Amino acid sequence: MKNRERKRYLVFEVISEREINKRELLKEIWGSVYSLYGDVGASESEIWLIGYEKKKDGDTGIDVSEGMGILRCAAYKVEEVRAALAYIHSVNEARVGIGVVGISGTIKGATRLTNPALSKSKS
Amino acid sequence: MPNFFDLNVHAYPETDVPVEDMLRVAKRYGYAGIAITNNDDISNGNNVSNYIFRGVEIRTNSVSELKRKIKLYYGKVSLLAVHGGSEKINKAALKDFRVDILAHPCGEKGEGELSHVLVRYAAENGVAIDFNLNALIQSKRSDRARILRKMREIFKIVRKYKAMPIITSNAHSVYDLRAPREMIALVSLFGMQKAEAVHALSDIPKDVLEKKWKKEREVEII
Repeated sequence: MKNRERKRYLVFEVISEREINKRELLKEIWGSVYSLYGDVGASESEIWLIGYEKKKDGDTGIDVSEGMGILRCAAYKVEEVRAALAYIHSVNEARVGIGVVGISGTIKGATRLTNPALSKSKS
Repeated sequence: MPNFFDLNVHAYPETDVPVEDMLRVAKRYGYAGIAITNNDDISNGNNVSNYIFRGVEIRTNSVSELKRKIKLYYGKVSLLAVHGGSEKINKAALKDFRVDILAHPCGEKGEGELSHVLVRYAAENGVAIDFNLNALIQSKRSDRARILRKMREIFKIVRKYKAMPIITSNAHSVYDLRAPREMIALVSLFGMQKAEAVHALSDIPKDVLEKKWKKEREVEII
């Protein structure tokens, strides 16, 4: 019997009106998951925000604040969590848009996704 | 990977976001093209590039005005959408083969009406029925539940009568755009299967832009 549930690490990008911090974002993600799936669904999805950082040099080419983060969730709940992330339209009244960049089974793989330069040198 | 299209985006001059910014973010999310459909306005006309399609969204409350505007815009834009909502507008739009898309038939608050009779008109006349995800994203709790219920109801009928569903963001700013994979995850909440959703985001919008359904219909008449 497996002792540990399988996890997935979602790498996501955030564009926002103003800079947002990890705490605000986490609160909003939880709020979104709760409102969509309720207490039971939220407990099953096992969400954990591994990290979130503001990007120093954005690459959209337009005047928005950008950030990138890694979110852990249960492997079989990936699509649900993706929907919950897409549902978020504002964080503390600053409009945001969140898009998942990639999914990995390990933190190592996910970190590689956050830094394309690193992955190029490895492969 | 299929080419994804978002056929309902509002940009400058209706909102203060330039078309170029919208396109830049959309391309980054993996879209092959977007259509600008401002309300009753075709001034932002020139097809700026191969990725931007020029459209118009007619928004009115009276059927006679709708007909007049369809006549006015038909042939001048590559995409003619009608802002749906009340039953009489939905009916008039779906009965007219010149219309390409009935945008948000459930209304922006889930108050719209669309019966199976109307969806049959849509299938006959090749009018695509739009599922507007911005309404879901921007609403809260009971509103959201009502919109989801409405969309589930409509999608069931659409599937039954083989009408064409399309999924759009109805974005008014760059923050309202969502990547195709996220859109697919969102529509699964009202019962759309993944394959159907991919189809509704890629093949059907392409056919709508190429007027494939209209051509087939013309052939039938001859």
